[in-house]
Amino acid sequence: MAFTLTDEFKQRAEKICARYPRRDAALIPLLLELQREAGYVAEEAMDALSGYLGLPYSRVKAVVTFYTMFNRVPAGKYHLQVCRNISCHMAGAPGLLAALRARLGIEEGETTKDGLFTLSAVECLGACGDAPVLQVNEDYFGRVTAEKLDVLLEDLKHGKYPSTR
Amino acid sequence: MPKITIDGKTAEVAKGTTVLQAAQALGIVIPRYCYHPSLSISGNCRMCLVEVEKSPKLLTACSTEAADGMVVRTDSDKVKAARRDVLEYLLINHPLDCPICDQAGECGLQDYYMEHSRAKSRFPQEDKVRRQKRRALGPHLVLDNERCILCTRCVRFCSEVTKTSELEVMERGDHSYIDLKQGKALDNGYTLNLADICPVGAWTSRDFRFKQRVWFLKRTPTVCLGCATGCLMEAHHNDGVLYRLVPRPNAETNTWLCDHGRMTYKAVRAGDRLAKGVIKNGLIELEPALREAAGRIDENHPAAAVLGSPWLSVEDNAALARLAKDAIKTENFCFDFPGAQGVKDGILINEDPAPNARGARLVKDAYGGIALEELRARIVDGRVKTVVTEARAAAFVRDAVKASGARLIVFATNRADIPPAAYATLPYACYFEVPGTFVNFQGLRRRAEPSVAAPEGVRPLWALVNRLAAYSGASLHLDSAADALKEIVFK
Repeated sequence: MAFTLTDEFKQRAEKICARYPRRDAALIPLLLELQREAGYVAEEAMDALSGYLGLPYSRVKAVVTFYTMFNRVPAGKYHLQVCRNISCHMAGAPGLLAALRARLGIEEGETTKDGLFTLSAVECLGACGDAPVLQVNEDYFGRVTAEKLDVLLEDLKHGKYPSTR
Repeated sequence: MPKITIDGKTAEVAKGTTVLQAAQALGIVIPRYCYHPSLSISGNCRMCLVEVEKSPKLLTACSTEAADGMVVRTDSDKVKAARRDVLEYLLINHPLDCPICDQAGECGLQDYYMEHSRAKSRFPQEDKVRRQKRRALGPHLVLDNERCILCTRCVRFCSEVTKTSELEVMERGDHSYIDLKQGKALDNGYTLNLADICPVGAWTSRDFRFKQRVWFLKRTPTVCLGCATGCLMEAHHNDGVLYRLVPRPNAETNTWLCDHGRMTYKAVRAGDRLAKGVIKNGLIELEPALREAAGRIDENHPAAAVLGSPWLSVEDNAALARLAKDAIKTENFCFDFPGAQGVKDGILINEDPAPNARGARLVKDAYGGIALEELRARIVDGRVKTVVTEARAAAFVRDAVKASGARLIVFATNRADIPPAAYATLPYACYFEVPGTFVNFQGLRRRAEPSVAAPEGVRPLWALVNRLAAYSGASLHLDSAADALKEIVFK
């Protein structure tokens, strides 16, 4: 199936482009838009976006591969990202990760069969004061304990998106 | 004008000159990988670090502008240590490939390691990051990502010179590698320049790989005859065999060389290279072929014509003009090749695929002759029955010859060039084998120098013309290529 940018996307994209002195500066925000829509940035989407912004494809691909925040394969509905840097590590991130692996039955970088959860270990999320930190899609959950994690996962499974923290 | 002192030597340089360029002007070589004089400055390899007085850290010479009163040291202990460290860093993941690497002998890593480091690696070999090796990318290149030091010269070449931007650095950290779009080939007409500018063995030429170790190569400066641009280049050869052509950067025409031009040497030892004459389709020794050709010309001198060729040197064209004027004594000769000239793609490749149309014009200025249209007309209406020319130039009169059935006697180097209508073909030595003068589209005189010997029995075109004239009973007194140039006036 050929990938095309929707008119609706283009309308939003024009507004985003207008924020910058140069059109190609909108590359990262637009990639984030695409990722928000599909959960990941597909090869075809990079191709379409490079055409739209007048950038060489290789440039778009280089940016997508440089930033680990871009998923290049479809991610689950909820992307669980556990910080593994020093503050979170000392506050119990390894246990958190192990609990998630056990509860979901997947390793880091994998997605559950039902397509609900993707698990990743990530570098510092910049919220050391709330360590250990878990990021679900774009929201932070701090001071995560085993109990809080259980409640969170149950809520997510039942389609209830809890307020942050 | 800033005055800068480097290693105790002072020079006044133009504003905007970098420390690296200023050092070069002073004869001080600063090692570098990512810096290339014809590409933008990247400053990523850190090999050119130098000590600048009053600067707390070492600075990259390639990206630091020379300022007034700047005092730079390139030989201090601090700089030497930095070079060692940078090399150690670059070599962490570099494979120990040198014995099987085609770059060995012209490799920046090898050279600088011997010059600046000679330290034993502190990193165990089994911990090296492995990347994809030996990947054919496009018709001319092989990419070995494991050897790459990510200087991005190739990335910048593709975005700045060819403006095709196929290449980029993908991923980051020690995962990074050079890549292009999946399923695409790297074929922009200038790809072999990447093999030249790559300071390590990451990009190598598929054509040149494993043919010859570079330290055996001899270098002959010559000119590219791939089109009218007339790029200066260097032929690399050993034991009478050509191995590759590389550019000789110059201000007038070229910094680079196109892929087409680089492959022109292939014809020299191609399977269809002519070492004997051809009459119709049969091979025949040179002397009988010459005799036959001369016999046909002698049948009717006023009906013979000579057409020069923009693919031949000025000398050989002049010899052909002498043949027409002094031996055949005909008015039917043409050295007039109109046609567009000028750089077609904005880089190097010319509108005119023939290298010497301007040189042929000099022959026309010296000897006169008729226009190409007039020659065609004379062939069509039967006033000309025999045409002597060079194989590729025969295309200029192809339709006329076809219409009238005139006899075609051509000079050719390769069988593939012979037009189907040719009656007799005489083999001549190409300009990798004999010297020749060419005039490029700008009117600049270019000299092709011989680098290898011609196949046995193959002679320069002017010598064949001399023999042809002798068979027709006239002596042209052509004993060398220079003899043919006597009446030519170069502007």
